[in-house]
Amino acid sequence: MNWVDLISTVSGGNYMEVERILKEYPYIAELADHLRDQKMKVIENLDSYVSMTIKNVERLGGHAYLAKDKDDARKIAGEIVGEDKIVVFSKTNVAYEIGLREYLESRHNEVWETDLGEYLIQISKGWPTHIVAPALGMTREDAAKAVKKIDPSIDENSKIEDVVAAVRKFLMSKYVKADIGITGANAVAADSGAIALVENEGNIRIDTVMPQTHISITGIDKIVPTLRDAMDEVMVQSAYAGLFPPTYINVTAGPSSTADIELKRVSPATGPKNFHLILMDDGRMDASRDEELKEALLCIKCGRCYFSCPIYRVLGKDWVSTKSPYNGPTGVMWNYITNKDPWPASYCVHSGGCKEVCPMRINIPEVIKYIKYIGSKSI
Amino acid sequence: MDEDRVRKQEALIKSILYRNLMEDYTPFPLDKKLAVKWANGMNIPKGGRVILYTSYMYQMASVFKSYEKYVPTLGSLGKSRILASIGSRLIKPKDEDIDRSVRILQNVYRMVSRVKADVGYLYEDEPYSGSLLYELGFLDEFKEYGKKVLGFFRDRGVEEIITVDPHTTNTLTNLKKYINFDIPFHSYLSIIGTVKGKGKFVMHDSCLYSRFLDMYDTIRDKMKSAGVDLVEDPTVTGKGVGFCCGGPVGPLNADLSDSIAKARAASLKSVYEDVLVACPLCYVNLEPYCSIKDIAEVIE
Repeated sequence: MNWVDLISTVSGGNYMEVERILKEYPYIAELADHLRDQKMKVIENLDSYVSMTIKNVERLGGHAYLAKDKDDARKIAGEIVGEDKIVVFSKTNVAYEIGLREYLESRHNEVWETDLGEYLIQISKGWPTHIVAPALGMTREDAAKAVKKIDPSIDENSKIEDVVAAVRKFLMSKYVKADIGITGANAVAADSGAIALVENEGNIRIDTVMPQTHISITGIDKIVPTLRDAMDEVMVQSAYAGLFPPTYINVTAGPSSTADIELKRVSPATGPKNFHLILMDDGRMDASRDEELKEALLCIKCGRCYFSCPIYRVLGKDWVSTKSPYNGPTGVMWNYITNKDPWPASYCVHSGGCKEVCPMRINIPEVIKYIKYIGSKSI
Repeated sequence: MDEDRVRKQEALIKSILYRNLMEDYTPFPLDKKLAVKWANGMNIPKGGRVILYTSYMYQMASVFKSYEKYVPTLGSLGKSRILASIGSRLIKPKDEDIDRSVRILQNVYRMVSRVKADVGYLYEDEPYSGSLLYELGFLDEFKEYGKKVLGFFRDRGVEEIITVDPHTTNTLTNLKKYINFDIPFHSYLSIIGTVKGKGKFVMHDSCLYSRFLDMYDTIRDKMKSAGVDLVEDPTVTGKGVGFCCGGPVGPLNADLSDSIAKARAASLKSVYEDVLVACPLCYVNLEPYCSIKDIAEVIE
């Protein structure tokens, strides 16, 4: 099946599934509306929410950093990880944004993506096609061909279940030896310093508790006022991604702890000894101060707008290409925020489906129009 | 994507388009005799308080579609009036496209005349709305040209505008937002009364009508009450998944525009074989790939 036919089928399926979820769980839309208001409060006062988050992560016994740009973030992560370590990654777009996997590998670390789709992209030396489903462009045969490299028993006739089992077996051998787990964060609660992560495979749960050091790297746009808001965000994100209820929701608030003796809370316990939160600016703070652009920071990266976009449905990952992990309509906004690259906006056909399906009601075509304007002023 | 190609093409279009508009109120040299042909013999007053505003969209749709191909020619014509005159003969729609636009615009005028008396038309003086400037993101130029258009309408005593296509309607909506364009305007589809129609179709919504001008239901209601049968599939014709015809990216990349049109036509045909559109650009983009009609060809 070619890309256009594949994405057409996937888009129709996703649309109907999200509509079903919203009908069956009507509180999701209410959560989304409330979340928009809460996220806007943070955007309007981002400096102070960043400070509050850092203070509360440290109060839990964790370490928090504000990285001003890609170089800064790589340096911070590189110093925490060190060299000659085994690192397991869960899917994190910010890590792609800064080229973290390649950077850590260049420092003699063994780095493995543990999200199945991301792992397939890694071993086939590809680039994510979609923000939630990175291997969306790969067929069963493509996946089997890639996995054959690490398990010769897999061939192009293998069933999907066998391909998944082979990856699981391989990753299990890495989890038990991993020194560092690196994740993103779907939301960061300023009031408590806790992060929330949503997933279905179980890899994030392992990445966040098996290795003795957990690093979460995420954008300052993921900060929400409270832990309740963070839980709302993972619920809304998974529903609009068409995967509700999610199999797992993970909350991490500092290093592992216990209060089993005399109800005195001490760290560490069985899980990680160390928790590090790297908060990424990389253009986000400037965007929060730009009236025309700041709405883009509301994006919860559910990836639904990709499916409604004619350009994405024809060009796929070739639209924004490997300059950014963010593609589709939200990717045009995010590629501009993080790379100051206005040109993918020129291809926007203002079809408007993106704003119709966005859970945060971001007027994406209007933001893209502004980015187009910035591009056109430079010629 | 090839960013260098986009940058160069945008620069070329920006200079040519803006120059043509500021000098002649048209986006390219065009044969105005062809553009006003639809009004011949209709006894339509020239100008007046209320006007039907075509903005050349139906008449020149096929030229808009091929804008990328014509841009180098347009650039080479320069500022010479004589060369521009030659250009208007080189760059023109086919006879059958003009004949079709004549039938459509005459039908629109007749439907509008039933609810509005003495609707005029500006004939050869009609200015293009500036849609391309807006849609390509040339907002400074769009505002400047928009002021010129507003002044033009005011000078001619225009007090009400009836549009015939979504791009012009959306452009006036944005001129209202950006420069306080204060002459009232409406799409003909929102003012015509009871109309009759027939046929069974899958509706390809204009993106602008359905998702920017809040006319998704207006158009469906109008078609259904006229007796036109619309076949729906929420994954193809739903408001959130309706898909562009590819037209807006045509000036920058005709191949990409064509790929979108092919994909859209394929999904529409999976719902029903006959497609209905409400926009002249949607028509010219989808027409090579499906059986298609404009709304104004099925209602009267």
